[in-house]
Amino acid sequence: MIVFDKVCFSYGVRQIIKDLSFSINSDERVAILGGSGEGKTTILKLIMGLIKPDSGKIIIDGEDITGKTEDELREVRMKFSLVFQEGALFDSLNVKENVAFCLREYTKMTEDEIDRKVRELLRTVGVEHAMEFMPEELSGGMHRRVSIARSLAACEPMMFLYDEPTSGLDPVNADNICKLILELSKDGKGFIIVTHKVVDALRVASRFIFLKDGELVFDGDSEKLLHSDIPDIQVFISELNYAGVKNV
Amino acid sequence: MGQWSAAVMIRLKELISDLQDFYLLSFRGVLNIFKRPFYLKDTIEQMDYAGAGSFFIIFIVSLFVGMALSLQLSAELSRLGMKVYTGKVVGISVIRELGPVVAALVFTGRVGAGMASELGLMVLGHQVDTLRVFGVDPVKKLVTPRIVSSIIMLPALTIIGDAVSLFGGYYIAVFVSNQSGALYWSSIREELIFENVFSGAIKPFVFGYLIACICCYTGLSTKGGATGLRQSTTKAVVMSIIMIIVSDFVLTRILLYVLGFSV
Repeated sequence: MIVFDKVCFSYGVRQIIKDLSFSINSDERVAILGGSGEGKTTILKLIMGLIKPDSGKIIIDGEDITGKTEDELREVRMKFSLVFQEGALFDSLNVKENVAFCLREYTKMTEDEIDRKVRELLRTVGVEHAMEFMPEELSGGMHRRVSIARSLAACEPMMFLYDEPTSGLDPVNADNICKLILELSKDGKGFIIVTHKVVDALRVASRFIFLKDGELVFDGDSEKLLHSDIPDIQVFISELNYAGVKNV
Repeated sequence: MGQWSAAVMIRLKELISDLQDFYLLSFRGVLNIFKRPFYLKDTIEQMDYAGAGSFFIIFIVSLFVGMALSLQLSAELSRLGMKVYTGKVVGISVIRELGPVVAALVFTGRVGAGMASELGLMVLGHQVDTLRVFGVDPVKKLVTPRIVSSIIMLPALTIIGDAVSLFGGYYIAVFVSNQSGALYWSSIREELIFENVFSGAIKPFVFGYLIACICCYTGLSTKGGATGLRQSTTKAVVMSIIMIIVSDFVLTRILLYVLGFSV
């Protein structure tokens, strides 16, 4: 379970997150919505301990992680599988080496075993054919898929964290990524997806958190979201009218 | 006035914090050499990039520095009737001073700038965060191999650069200034004493360490997209050049004192 208790965070003098409090169970499918620069990605970084809050507590499975060192945070980070926006693949390594990165780092698997495991993971995300490709040869959708495969190789996560997984993708690729997100959470594993695309969020999530100026202004299900009278949410939802999917 | 002093205080705090982070990174970068895991493959890759990749440019620059130095000295010394000392002065200048500094400046331009921009791009592309997510220490994985490669390859390149500069000086002394080749080499051999060689040999190790630490630190501190990347790369190169020149002076002063030269 993830608990944010009155968390504040600033970049320099600019306050990004203000007194943010919420809790998320590890089997929940949550979408964090909001405009650019509203602190959506910052929330994922705070959960992973990549940045420390100015004040407040972040509790993961009953443990406050705010005072933990890098070494102590490793155990916390292994509970999550974080997929950064645009994949964040290592440029100097090909797809196979990217996926095998943690296997080489932390296991004593032989080359054959690594090869088999990498193939299996790439098959799961549907890009087995791209095993020898370099990151610059991959499309946006393939980038995200390889990144998901790499994070699966790193650990058996309790929960997935996706940072704008469909941004910059065409509708077909975005749909494929959404299907993959749902597929990976089939066995009860929850996820947090950070996005500004309501269409995609409604496809995969069951709970929605909306951020405005670093504050939580909405927390509820799709029904409540679609009927919210908050002006900013209505602007977001207007995207559905154009897409013709208001009755999701 | 109040706003101005507040701004100065903020800037001062940032500067102290930056310095503290830089010292920590420099210290941890070296300490990690003795800790597992050893990223041997990464270190060899960096050595190849820094060493083999810089060989040609060091060769060209050193050759022309040696030739220009020999040309200047031949002209001036022949006016004073002391042309025979060309080899001696070229030898001392190149081995003790010019060789290490020129190699370090070229190394900064090619390897240091590359380190800063590569690490900066990794920061902006969340690759450094990804390493942390996977429980890999970015200092150990990214900084330590670069420090090791710089400490090993810059001295090697300096030796090559010194030799090439001396050959450049020889070409000018013999074929342009019509001096005796044997005399040129014998006067250089006379200068290859412990004090001179040690003085020139210790500097590249210090310069290599400084360049790697400064460039890795500025690269890893990159913020703010393409503009931030440009700023951090420029800062890395400028700071490295300044530190090379300043530390060269300090080292020269210390070495002259320690090795018993009278000034």
